[in-house]
Amino acid sequence: MDKIIVQGLWKEFDGVTAVADVSFTVGEREFFTLLGPSGCGKSTTLRCIAGLEEPTRGEIHIGGRLVSAPASGIFAPPERRSVGMVFQNYAVWPHMTVFDNVAYPLRLQKLDRRTIDARVGEVLEMVALRGLERRFPAQLSGGQQQRVALARALVRRPEVMLLDEPLSNLDAKLREQMRFELKELQRRMGVPILYVTHDQAEAMALSDRVAVMNAGRIVQVGAPLEIYSHPADRFVADFMGLMNFLPGVVLARQGEQVLVEMLGQRVHLVDRSALAGPVMVAVRPEDLVMGRDGDIAGTVEVRNFMGNFIDYKVRVADRMLRVQTPHAQVYAEGERVTLRVERALLFAAEDAA
Amino acid sequence: MTIPGRLAAPLAPRVRLWTDPRVPGVLAAALLLAAIVVYPLALVLVRSLKVDGAWSLATYARAVAPGNLRPLWNTIWTAALTSVLAMLAGTILAFLLVRTDLPGRRVMRTLVTLPYAVPPFFGAIAWAQLLGPQGYLLRPLLNLLGIEQAPWTIYTPSGVVMVMAIHFFPLVFLTVAAALERMDVSLEEAARTSGAGTLQVMRQITIPLVLPASLAGGVLTFMGAVANFGIPALLGLRARFFVLTTSIYASLNVPDFSLATAMSMLLMVISTGALGLQRWIQRGEGRFAVIAGKAIHPQPLRLGAWRWPAFAGAAGFATVIAVLPIMALVLTSFLRYYGAPLEVASLTTRHYKYIMGLEQVRRAAANSVILASAAATLCMGLGTAISYAHTKAKIPGTGVLDAIGTLPYAIPHTVIAIAVLLAWARAGLYGTLTIILLAYILAYLPFGLRTTSATLRQIHDSLEEAGRVSGAGPLRTFRDIVLPLVKPGMLAGWILVFLPASRELTMSILLFSLRTETIGVTIFNMQDAGYTQIAAALSVVVLLVILAGNLLIRRVTRGQLGF
Repeated sequence: MDKIIVQGLWKEFDGVTAVADVSFTVGEREFFTLLGPSGCGKSTTLRCIAGLEEPTRGEIHIGGRLVSAPASGIFAPPERRSVGMVFQNYAVWPHMTVFDNVAYPLRLQKLDRRTIDARVGEVLEMVALRGLERRFPAQLSGGQQQRVALARALVRRPEVMLLDEPLSNLDAKLREQMRFELKELQRRMGVPILYVTHDQAEAMALSDRVAVMNAGRIVQVGAPLEIYSHPADRFVADFMGLMNFLPGVVLARQGEQVLVEMLGQRVHLVDRSALAGPVMVAVRPEDLVMGRDGDIAGTVEVRNFMGNFIDYKVRVADRMLRVQTPHAQVYAEGERVTLRVERALLFAAEDAA
Repeated sequence: MTIPGRLAAPLAPRVRLWTDPRVPGVLAAALLLAAIVVYPLALVLVRSLKVDGAWSLATYARAVAPGNLRPLWNTIWTAALTSVLAMLAGTILAFLLVRTDLPGRRVMRTLVTLPYAVPPFFGAIAWAQLLGPQGYLLRPLLNLLGIEQAPWTIYTPSGVVMVMAIHFFPLVFLTVAAALERMDVSLEEAARTSGAGTLQVMRQITIPLVLPASLAGGVLTFMGAVANFGIPALLGLRARFFVLTTSIYASLNVPDFSLATAMSMLLMVISTGALGLQRWIQRGEGRFAVIAGKAIHPQPLRLGAWRWPAFAGAAGFATVIAVLPIMALVLTSFLRYYGAPLEVASLTTRHYKYIMGLEQVRRAAANSVILASAAATLCMGLGTAISYAHTKAKIPGTGVLDAIGTLPYAIPHTVIAIAVLLAWARAGLYGTLTIILLAYILAYLPFGLRTTSATLRQIHDSLEEAGRVSGAGPLRTFRDIVLPLVKPGMLAGWILVFLPASRELTMSILLFSLRTETIGVTIFNMQDAGYTQIAAALSVVVLLVILAGNLLIRRVTRGQLGF
């Protein structure tokens, strides 16, 4: 059974449409991510599910219960929905100890003290905060506050967990670590997570499925690898990592085999679309093979050592291309090189905007 | 590619007007606001435009008729002169204490802001003791010069201006000091590296840059001086020198109510005009954008040979304006009789014993404590309701409530008293504590609103939202999360209303009657009737309360408020 069902969700603020016709489902043990740039409507969607915003149109079910349907006048306020939410700034209450923060949702349920003690202890154990019960938030690090927020959301055993950019306030190293912990935690708890982020690397690392949003709409839903290798449109291709966009013309096509003219050369490619004529060719930096005996000639303009790979900017005619090579392959700035297109995606030329 | 970051548009959660349990509370607050603020103020305006039930400007014509023009003119020139003196003293002192290597800067900074913490009519009483015909300072001077009749005393228009300037100049000092501290030092350094000398930099760069701050402080001083009653009443009335506030007081004693109303409107026009001017000056400050929010401590200007003369001047000034008046009050309160020889044998505590036993004083003290506590509680309650509805719950239309609640800030307290009289005297409240309370609430509501909304703004919305998703309803969230977090700020705000209300004079003097005297009224009447020692002893007691209250504010706000 799906734990979250969102159907035709719309949200307007004073005539500005923030969410437009969004539909998706989150499965029983699924890690589902809403991914998109700032202002794309992902946080608003999450807040509609939490009940912090009232949708303009559409239906929301949580755990099989209809919680929002403006057309029938149904709206359950946040306190009547079985959700646990983690906020971007943690929102840990500064006037309560760690224990009191985590115990608060249980106290509202009027559980007896022994049950509260036991369940708070259990979740604090799970997020590795045992022993810090009596501390106040001001005495905790950012990462620890994050865990308090997580524990507070988990403690009432909600139907779903809602996480709004929970890692974006942490420093890079802690963020990586928390990524692994989050995923493990979810596996152990078996609770479905709806996750919101603008960080595509985070989305790909964590999610079972990702919904990419743009301008209030879901553009593509799928497994991370699927979205990375077969983006539905130019926006998704661009958003899911680096991409070179080059104009081209399909000269011939035989099934998925196409001959494309680009950068003044004829290139053989594999392509799933049925496009013909002028197209936009999208090439990932790692799909450009740099050498000395290829067809496309260029000059290395900038070289950045990134550790496990090298990031180049290569000028070809009047264009600047991003190329990434393994660190064993080193070319000097100013050196003349050639490029070969290993793999590429074709998009309609008018999609260029 | 779009740069990821914060959301472009702020998310405004919509309130469900019919089901949100907070809405009835807001409606109640709106009704109270309409009754306490809007109704009386609208009534003064309407009354001033009506003669015998018909619309007319005759009242205004009367107010500016030749016979009544004098107090208007007196108000304007005394306030203007006060502002100029305050700007001079405040700006120079701010510069000396912030930007130079003057010794003892920190102690002096506390000292020079002290006069503003002392109620203005206490200042008038103290200065009357120092520079009255038998004053502690004037008498020895006259004896020294061998003059019998003093050519000048404090009971003159210039005395009024002097005491007002001493009381209000800290406003200029504080704004200029703040501006000097936030000013980007590189502007001055750029001038130095362009070849300008120290004095040239000061004249061509520093002074022009702090001028807007000085002017803004000057306008605040002007507004304060225009609205002040205690000083011109205690020092000007003897010389039959009237300003608008004291004329209104006099015309209520006649009583000539319509003249009082018309003069109130004049007072109001001057005051709001000055406030508009101040807003305009501050807009100009933004245009030049010289204040660079960072706190760099620039190299202090070396005074060199001028260091000790400047110290002597500043320390002398600080002593005269801050220490001497308080010393005079304390001394008078312990002297057997005013004018007694200054020796140990002349000291007594009997005035304190006397006031403790005086029925009238006890009653006044009780009245003041009751009124000030009630006013502080209601202002904070109403202020919290309005600012919570506006800044947190974001209930539509509450912005108007916030604006209305802040409006009385620009209204002189004399006008507020007249408005309250017009609105409630006929409803059977004349001469009751309730009518004084209504005036206090109207006058101090902006304090309550400003402190509560500043405190509420510091609480991120997500703290409340976390309460909601944890399973708490809106009222429960307010009780468990918002209230505990705003408590320190609310306590500070409560004291900030309580302190001025507990020694209020301007409104009480127009509204009191037998048995509803406040402590301010009692001190004023004692001084006016010549019981200088009693007035001094009471003033000392009240000053101790003010001091204790300020220390308490410092404690609860960890030094952010109080002095």
